[in-house]
Amino acid sequence: MRNGLRQSMAWLHSWAGLVAGWVLFCIFMTGTATYYRADVSRWMRPELPVVQQVPTPDDLARAAETAVAHLKGAAPNAIAWYVTLPSAADPAVALMWFTDFALPPGTARLDPATGGPPAVRETFGGDFFYRFHFELNLPSTIGRWIAGICAMIGLVTLLSGIITHRRIFADFFTFRRHAKSAQRSWLDAHNVAGVVAIPFHLMITYTGIATLALMYMPWGVLTAYKGDAMRFYGETGQITAPLAPAGKPGTLAPVGPMVRQALERVSEPLEMVIVEMPGDAKSKVVAVFEEPHGLSHQHPQVAFAGATGTLLQVLNPNLKPASKTFTTMVGLHEAHFAGPALRVLFFLCGLTGAAMVGTGLVLWSVARLPTPGAAPFFGLRLVRVLNLGTVAGLPAAVAAYFLANRLLPVGLGARADWEVGVFFAVWILAAVYAALRPQASVWREMLAACAALFLAVPVVNGLATGRHPLASVAAGDALYLWFDAAMLALAGLFAIAAYKAHGVEAPGRRRPQAVAPLRRNALEQA
Amino acid sequence: MTPIVLLANLALSFAALAALCLSMNRHHAAAFTAKPSRRTMLGLRAAGWAGIALCFAVAVMAEGWNFGPVQWLGSLSGGALLVVALASYRPSWIRPAALLALPLALVAAFTL
Repeated sequence: MRNGLRQSMAWLHSWAGLVAGWVLFCIFMTGTATYYRADVSRWMRPELPVVQQVPTPDDLARAAETAVAHLKGAAPNAIAWYVTLPSAADPAVALMWFTDFALPPGTARLDPATGGPPAVRETFGGDFFYRFHFELNLPSTIGRWIAGICAMIGLVTLLSGIITHRRIFADFFTFRRHAKSAQRSWLDAHNVAGVVAIPFHLMITYTGIATLALMYMPWGVLTAYKGDAMRFYGETGQITAPLAPAGKPGTLAPVGPMVRQALERVSEPLEMVIVEMPGDAKSKVVAVFEEPHGLSHQHPQVAFAGATGTLLQVLNPNLKPASKTFTTMVGLHEAHFAGPALRVLFFLCGLTGAAMVGTGLVLWSVARLPTPGAAPFFGLRLVRVLNLGTVAGLPAAVAAYFLANRLLPVGLGARADWEVGVFFAVWILAAVYAALRPQASVWREMLAACAALFLAVPVVNGLATGRHPLASVAAGDALYLWFDAAMLALAGLFAIAAYKAHGVEAPGRRRPQAVAPLRRNALEQA
Repeated sequence: MTPIVLLANLALSFAALAALCLSMNRHHAAAFTAKPSRRTMLGLRAAGWAGIALCFAVAVMAEGWNFGPVQWLGSLSGGALLVVALASYRPSWIRPAALLALPLALVAAFTL
């Protein structure tokens, strides 16, 4: 039955794609949103001023001192403190500490001026999409494994799809909207979404796996370095040389002077200060800078002996070819180098990726439509519900997350968790709704709901914050204008999709007919 | 200036891919109600591939060997999306749009 290469690849493509498709769709969607992580975070903290001052070296030194004072009280026995310093995008100091790398870290946000909590609403902002993109909101190790396995299956699906696709050049521009069979149109849409941005899809899937490759395949490094992976990272120039802990307590010298000294050595913006083994006599303080403009994602770093404040090492990105290849892959994946215009292209390519996966999932079920009158088998019903829950449910949840940010009371306890709670509540609700409604109308209803939710975002934002488009124009607030425009564009896109989704997966259209009697099919279904 | 280079690249890759699209029987017939002659087909195809090569040269000259190829591939994807959209909704607009894109690319390239 499956004798030729192409046939066996087609089998592999449709089943591998189905198994990983739902997770891949979520990874593509949230990853695409992550291209605007800083903008989303800023939008979700409307208390911040339109224009933020770039912090001076004095500000940064003071902020680091404030953070260390807080951490000495909150986590004196931690293995490591991570202090993200204020920037033009976010004026707060973000703290993270580990007492055990196997346990979830502790986190806090501080106002560097007061040392208390910042006077903005509590939210994860765009960081939620970023983490969901590769951890799926699960415990980090499990999440990364699931995301990685799905990405590997995704790469298999991409390559088998290229082999299966017989007329990759002949059909390059072909999207027959009014093909005689619905399956033909879906196949065209799937092929076009896949082929048009194929360099992006291959790059993003491969580099995505590569960013966590040493987690998925640690054995080479573990064997060569006898289990001491840190020495490997140090020798390859990705981190400053590790220090063995002294095993006896020590006191940390003031961090402010170290920050100032580091700022004199490197011209990039300072991003983070890491304190390793803060309570140990051989603690280490590392100032981590943003990567210089380039494809390669490599952070300049300056290390100090924590107890004395003496300079240990200045690590300027000067990597050997293998490490450089790795950091270039990470850089390509994250696209920090992309300016606003190129970023739009990356964003569109990401949406094309989500469209490729989404159309592929729908195609699986359209290709297995029952004959008119026959009841769909269980697997088909399951796939349909999961498709609806993913393709229409996730966007609805994203819009709900933005709405929750504006509607939940500002003083609510564990507010950031509540926003995530709303995200998942709406998502689950969407899946349940998909399971209960008849197939003929459910796509239209759910896509229309997505359109309504995205339309509600700028409306609710304007009412809740007073920062409606007219006010944004007056204040010269480009971010809010763009955000409103993006939400309206998404609402429009979903409205068109809802309008077009009439009679999707209705059986009759499968067979070639002179006139496609869409209305009658919908009636038959009801 | 990256946005200008990107604009030049996008316009150029759109025009090149539009030529490749119109060199195909089905799309040519949709746009002009007839299949292309062999000469037209070959001419369009040559123009299309030449445009893609030129686009690569512009990207690499303006952005260097590291960012150039990224920008080139990105603009080809963007241009292809536009051509597909036109080919399926307004095939008769492909030719005028491509003829409009060429001078746009030139203007963008000269303001570099």
